[in-house]
Amino acid sequence: MSPELEQSFVKQLKENQNIIHKICRLYTSGDDAHKDLFQEITIQLWKAFPKFRGESKFSTWAYRVALNTAITLYRKSTRSIVTSSFDTTNVFIKQEEYNYEEEEQIKLLYEAVHQLNDIEKALVFMYLEDKDYREISETLGITEVNARVKMNRVKTKLRKILNP
Amino acid sequence: MEELDLLKKDWQKANAFEQISEAEIYKMLHKKSSSIVKWLLIIGILEFVFWNIVTVFINDEKYQLKINEYGVSNFMLIINIINYIILLGFIYMFYKNYKTISTTDSTQQLMKNILRTRKTVQNYIWYNLAMVSVTIIITIIMLFNHNPRMISLMQNQTQEGHYGFFVCICVVISIVIILIIIGLFWLFYKLLYGILLKKLFANYKELKKIEL
Repeated sequence: MSPELEQSFVKQLKENQNIIHKICRLYTSGDDAHKDLFQEITIQLWKAFPKFRGESKFSTWAYRVALNTAITLYRKSTRSIVTSSFDTTNVFIKQEEYNYEEEEQIKLLYEAVHQLNDIEKALVFMYLEDKDYREISETLGITEVNARVKMNRVKTKLRKILNP
Repeated sequence: MEELDLLKKDWQKANAFEQISEAEIYKMLHKKSSSIVKWLLIIGILEFVFWNIVTVFINDEKYQLKINEYGVSNFMLIINIINYIILLGFIYMFYKNYKTISTTDSTQQLMKNILRTRKTVQNYIWYNLAMVSVTIIITIIMLFNHNPRMISLMQNQTQEGHYGFFVCICVVISIVIILIIIGLFWLFYKLLYGILLKKLFANYKELKKIEL
């Protein structure tokens, strides 16, 4: 592949790397696993890049490849045991007003999300990223109605985890 | 849901990830992928090679001499030609399926394509196990008809009036041997693909469940 292509890819990936970081945060726990999945996603994006024609935004295109890698291609089991070591400190750094009650709740929420299975995590991820049901259904390959139903079930499940 | 919206608020403002530099990304591009698709490809190729070696080993010179002696060389030649045509067919299907695997498809489609690629190899394995079974059966029949020691042993048994019993024992032993061979291979592949595709299967089932 040409150096120009490589350069353009690296530049766009660098600008959009937070998408991948966010997926790694949901699907792995621990720094090593995070880096490992990040690398695999990068390789898969690069492999698929020649087919990226710029019809959609780089970020939209990257969402799908990254999620597919995390759910389908990545070998290591991602259903981790919930560990309290899950690092949430970086989440709160920028909060100016410290609201301990809210902070505690957010921490519990992240832990609850970590207990979901891979598909449920994907739904939560896209919900958090403000994706509409059309895009969610297209990404996962299920119907829009079913995506909606499943999303409601995931919310119920999360509520149950939080209030046993 | 209030809770999830609280998380969303936090999620969208939290961007404090340790940023990866361009140099590091360049380095990553040249690293090897460890995805299951790559492993499926490697295992698939190894399988084609393995079963070919098995076929070549079975067809060694001694075996060829025996075949000529027993007068079934033409029959075996036809079997071999058919075997290679089928092998090429499998390789072509495997390659075609492998090429359709694309990370830009929807998750469900991607999973389907991966599972189809695996299915091709799996069918190839079943085909070979069937061929091994047939070979064992043919060998046993040839032994009964042509091997002098076997013929004399059978004559002795017939004279003593044990003919039916003797044939029964031989058939049972052959079936047990075939079943053991197939069982061992089945177990091996169950483990191999089980380990590799456990997560993918679980997620595929989960997606299918949503569609019910």
